[in-house]
Amino acid sequence: MVVCVSVWGQFHQKLKFFDETGPMTNSSADAKFGEALPLYEKLKNEWNRKPPNLEKCDELLRALKNVFAEGGFYPSDINEDSRGLHIARDTLEIGAQCAITMGDIPAFERSLAQLKPFYFDLENRLPESPYRYQLLGLNLLCLLSQNRLAEFHTELELLPPKDIQNNLYLKHPVSLEQYLMEGSYNKIFLAKGNVPSPLFTFFMDILLHTIRDEIAYCMEKSYTRIPFDEAGRILYLTKADELNQIAQKHGWQLQSNNSYHFGESQSKFDNEHVPADDIATQMIQYAREMEIII
Amino acid sequence: MVEVNDVEMKETDGKEPTVTTAALSKEEKKDADLLTFDDIKEQVRTIEKAVTSKEPRYILRVLRALASTRKRLNEDVLRRLINFYYTSNASEREILLSYLHPAQPMDVDVSSTTTIATTTSGTLTSTAGGAVPSSRPQTSRTRAGSLPEVDLYIHLIVLLFLIDRNPSKSALECSKRLVEKTAVLNRRTIDLLAAKCYFYYARVFELNNKLEEIRPFLHSRLRTATLRNDFEGTAVLINLLLRNYLHYNLYSQAQKLVLKSVFPDHASNNEWARYLYYLGRIRAMQLEYTKAHQHLLTAIRKAPQQTAVGFRQNAQKFLVTVELLLGDIPDKATFKNPQLKRSLDPYYQLTLAVRAGNLARFKEVLDTFGDRFQQEKTWSLIIRLRHNVIKTGIKMISLSYAKISFVDIAQKLQLDSPEDAEYIISKAIRDGVIEASINHEKGYMQSREIVDVYTTREPMNAFHQRIEFCLKVHNEAVKAMRYPPKKYNEELETAQERREREQEELEYAKEMADDDDDF
Repeated sequence: MVVCVSVWGQFHQKLKFFDETGPMTNSSADAKFGEALPLYEKLKNEWNRKPPNLEKCDELLRALKNVFAEGGFYPSDINEDSRGLHIARDTLEIGAQCAITMGDIPAFERSLAQLKPFYFDLENRLPESPYRYQLLGLNLLCLLSQNRLAEFHTELELLPPKDIQNNLYLKHPVSLEQYLMEGSYNKIFLAKGNVPSPLFTFFMDILLHTIRDEIAYCMEKSYTRIPFDEAGRILYLTKADELNQIAQKHGWQLQSNNSYHFGESQSKFDNEHVPADDIATQMIQYAREMEIII
Repeated sequence: MVEVNDVEMKETDGKEPTVTTAALSKEEKKDADLLTFDDIKEQVRTIEKAVTSKEPRYILRVLRALASTRKRLNEDVLRRLINFYYTSNASEREILLSYLHPAQPMDVDVSSTTTIATTTSGTLTSTAGGAVPSSRPQTSRTRAGSLPEVDLYIHLIVLLFLIDRNPSKSALECSKRLVEKTAVLNRRTIDLLAAKCYFYYARVFELNNKLEEIRPFLHSRLRTATLRNDFEGTAVLINLLLRNYLHYNLYSQAQKLVLKSVFPDHASNNEWARYLYYLGRIRAMQLEYTKAHQHLLTAIRKAPQQTAVGFRQNAQKFLVTVELLLGDIPDKATFKNPQLKRSLDPYYQLTLAVRAGNLARFKEVLDTFGDRFQQEKTWSLIIRLRHNVIKTGIKMISLSYAKISFVDIAQKLQLDSPEDAEYIISKAIRDGVIEASINHEKGYMQSREIVDVYTTREPMNAFHQRIEFCLKVHNEAVKAMRYPPKKYNEELETAQERREREQEELEYAKEMADDDDDF
């Protein structure tokens, strides 16, 4: 729904652009700013209330985004008005946090995609936002929880190494990634206890879920036998139901001595049969190349 | 890459002139100037030939000599050159001459010096005119002066001189003016020259730390070059953009550019080497180490083998890091290469640490060379090596012990707790790093017997890879050959002709060897 709105906004802006064939005149930008300000104040009040009314926030956000698109408050070469940019940034920040609270990952990613120009390209024109690092850290964790490692590293490259090492919000996802690569899964479970902000918990839960699957795969491969209780401990599960669910998912059978047995790994026998097909295609390919050369 | 390259060049530049000027008397220096001047005139003649015969290959030859010309430039030669060719175009002459006098900040001074310059150069031209044999009549000189290609070439030489002397404001202005000239012209004969102009234009901006300003310009030129099927221009511009993006760590933009643009097949080897190097860096950042390794290796192979030391050093740094990330240990001969030895030393220390699987040593290397790695932009790749160090450690333990407790493993690998060790070992087994099983209750790891590699498909795959590579090299060689037109219906050559042809080819091969200087 939000996509529709913002796309419509952009479309609208384009239409306007063609109508007037030139940058927005000053007076109309001022008018839009006047329109946006009360909405923004309202949103801010709503968001700061504990607990905030999420539906109302969402509604206000949509209305605001519309005004921004029409008023050209988004970063561009012609736009020199930093008041509008300031409001637009703050609104998007609230939007991103709101999206997490509602558990809407695509909306969060959209907000961040819009926020990035504010954070990186307009660094010198706007005062730094207090939420900047928190949201960037959240973005990293979001990518990590979905196992999008290539993007994770691309984002990381944009940040100076000093910040990565020292900033609390950035250090958290970065060290998580390191644990993940090493396989120190228990440290990730421990890290859940000391998240730098309550908003991180949402992605942490997703991450932990993925990790449990990972651990389960590792267990299949590396253990020959594991008692029921111990399996629960390794997977950091306290309830027997949850363990049963995972066992079912991976097709583990509980044996009579109340433990899971994993068969000898299959990989050993993979080499026994001759992969005739592959070899044949390879040989034919060689023959063809030789033919061409001669 | 060029940065280091240029630094190297400058070092040698700095040494040579001092030695030569000390050794040579003034008389001889004048002779050297005259020689340079005549050389450049020869180059200009080649450009004329290229324009009249519409054969861009001649221009390629001129550009190939650019590196050696650059080393011999000085103010006298340039002034004489400008006065020689810009006889009819006075305004252009004044502008070019004014670049040579950046020292005077005030307008009054500039005007006075230029008049002096013109008067002195007036006498110079007359003497030069006297010195030059009368075989070159005045008319052909003016004709050469009016050719835009010649104009570009001389302007480019002036720019090179300014870069070498002091890459400051005057070089910036000079380069801006140069690319403005290329923008208004639509002649296919300038494509190669224009490509070089873009390259040095970007170089000047890089030296002034203003790279981000020229991005829109490069994009618009890239569009034009692609539309005009100007392959050299396209190749150079894509590389400049990639360099520009990577300079600011904008990997996603660089990645998108690679996806959306097609690098021209016909581009010169040097441009290919650059492109592959950037591509390798992007891929490495995105954890596609196998591809990155392939690209970087090809880049190093395509780069000139004698010169371009800086490029090879940089590419090797990335190659070594990527190899380590792949779990391979780089060849020791790489580090012993005299040209690479010094710059690769931190990477050698790193390799030793990874090879030993020693975390403490790895940390030590990171601490000592951290700043340097950050500067060379390999830092973020290197911190990913941590788990490779652990992996190697695990591999060693598994090879040497049949059975070992987690407590001991944690101690050996300097991990925080035995639980850590259990998870890490478990992952290593799943990733196929080691062949082992875990006994949870008694808390130990039991290594399995190592399978004989030769009973698996490993050797076959390895051979397959090599055969593939050889076939590819062969096919590329066939593609790269150039055949003279309509040769197929000519008579077969006699023995005499063959000898002559072989002689010619030998000379051509020698010329190709000089190609390396172009980098």
